[in-house]
Amino acid sequence: MAGEPMAVDYYIPLIIFLIIGAIVPIAALAAVKVIAPLRSSRRKVSIYEGGLIPVRDAMVQYSVQYYLFAIAFVIFDVEVLFLYPWIYVYASEAMNQFMVFGSMNIAVFEMLLFIIVLLVGLVYAIKKEALRWV
Amino acid sequence: MDGIIESITQFANQEPAIFALIIGIIGAAIIAGVVNVGAMLLIWGERKVLGDFAARFGPNRVGGRWGILQLGADAIKLFTKEDIIPAEADKGVYVWAPIVASMATMLVAAAIPFGALHINGQDYPLVVANMDISAFYVEAALSIMSIAVFMAGYSSNNKYSMLGAFRGMARMIAYEVPMGVCVISVAIMAHSLNLVEIAQNQTLWYAFAQPLGFVIFVIALITDLGRIPFDQSEGEEEIISGYNTEYSGIRWGLLYFQEYNNALLGSILLTLLFLGGWQGPIIPIPLLDIISPLIWMLMKMIIVLWFFIWVRSSLVRLRIDQVTDLGWKWMLPLSIVNLGWAVLVGSYFA
Repeated sequence: MAGEPMAVDYYIPLIIFLIIGAIVPIAALAAVKVIAPLRSSRRKVSIYEGGLIPVRDAMVQYSVQYYLFAIAFVIFDVEVLFLYPWIYVYASEAMNQFMVFGSMNIAVFEMLLFIIVLLVGLVYAIKKEALRWV
Repeated sequence: MDGIIESITQFANQEPAIFALIIGIIGAAIIAGVVNVGAMLLIWGERKVLGDFAARFGPNRVGGRWGILQLGADAIKLFTKEDIIPAEADKGVYVWAPIVASMATMLVAAAIPFGALHINGQDYPLVVANMDISAFYVEAALSIMSIAVFMAGYSSNNKYSMLGAFRGMARMIAYEVPMGVCVISVAIMAHSLNLVEIAQNQTLWYAFAQPLGFVIFVIALITDLGRIPFDQSEGEEEIISGYNTEYSGIRWGLLYFQEYNNALLGSILLTLLFLGGWQGPIIPIPLLDIISPLIWMLMKMIIVLWFFIWVRSSLVRLRIDQVTDLGWKWMLPLSIVNLGWAVLVGSYFA
């Protein structure tokens, strides 16, 4: 459309918002640095662990038991990413020329196939107990 | 009035980059103020309403009408508490976690329309970055908060924080996909990913046009905001305070504050996507008719927020395995069913 701002212009305010979003908490932290008292001690800066002295580090090689969820998430999140551009294809008038099965939009048909394949995958993962919390 | 609008539109067309810059600066100043004040009022309001639900007074000791001075007292307390960073924490990440949370909130606020002004029979939406893909963008920016939560939990070097952070991630990945599919269903019906157009295209509220999607989106939104019954990342009874155990004073306050900022923005998002946005009958009184879309927006927002508080006071926290089961085995398939419904209704009955 003529006269409409270019796509990149929408993103200029985001930089300003990002800067403001960083300035507000940094200003609050700076104010606290000035106002609040500071009497540090060894006990005060220790990690809380039920009142006892902490046993070893928390940042260890940790086995994330739900990594299968994470793998499934990557697959399905990519599916969602494919669906977003599909909305524009679906919404465009040009697609109405291509019909399958009488009156079904070809974009709908193809996305249906894509989703069915993924749903089969989801059912398989559930049946295999991959999505069971351990 | 007409002249002003016309000259602004002309300027916007001639110098889009400078116009965007000016809008950005003015908008950032206003929105940062409005959102932060709104979040403070929300904190107070939530305590008051929770008090009502539990048949007690809520904050009433500090003074002011309905104990509203509690907000000032809390702020004074947070700003005068000693700033403690645990010696064994990963200091850089620890310090940056609340700042990243704040930046994420502002990124969401940049693209959300806060309402509209009704001038001469036309609605002028109040939005800073009116992108073509703002629904997609807002959904993406909302989930940056979970990165901040993970940063806070991981850098604290505390076992409870670590557990909270990992649970937060498990929760996030279980609900991100259904939420995205629901946003897509809405976009299919509205034929647009622009939040302004989605709000304006709703002759019938999408909460009624696709009730299943509405229910799923509400659950996913509550999960995304980390509110009870989905606040596994900070389950007080099991893991002290979860990801923010090692945070105190103003640093904790900042993290806590961002949760409420997000709740505020989440309620706006829900209103825009499913409850007709700022649409409503125009109040036929001079001056009031200009801001009547804003009034409708505010009323819907308050109802949504009240509903969140109601849920919080009625339900108990779910176990993390129940949460992931609900997300993967129920909400994901059902959200895809809802997508099919939206396509069907959108292409054959609309």
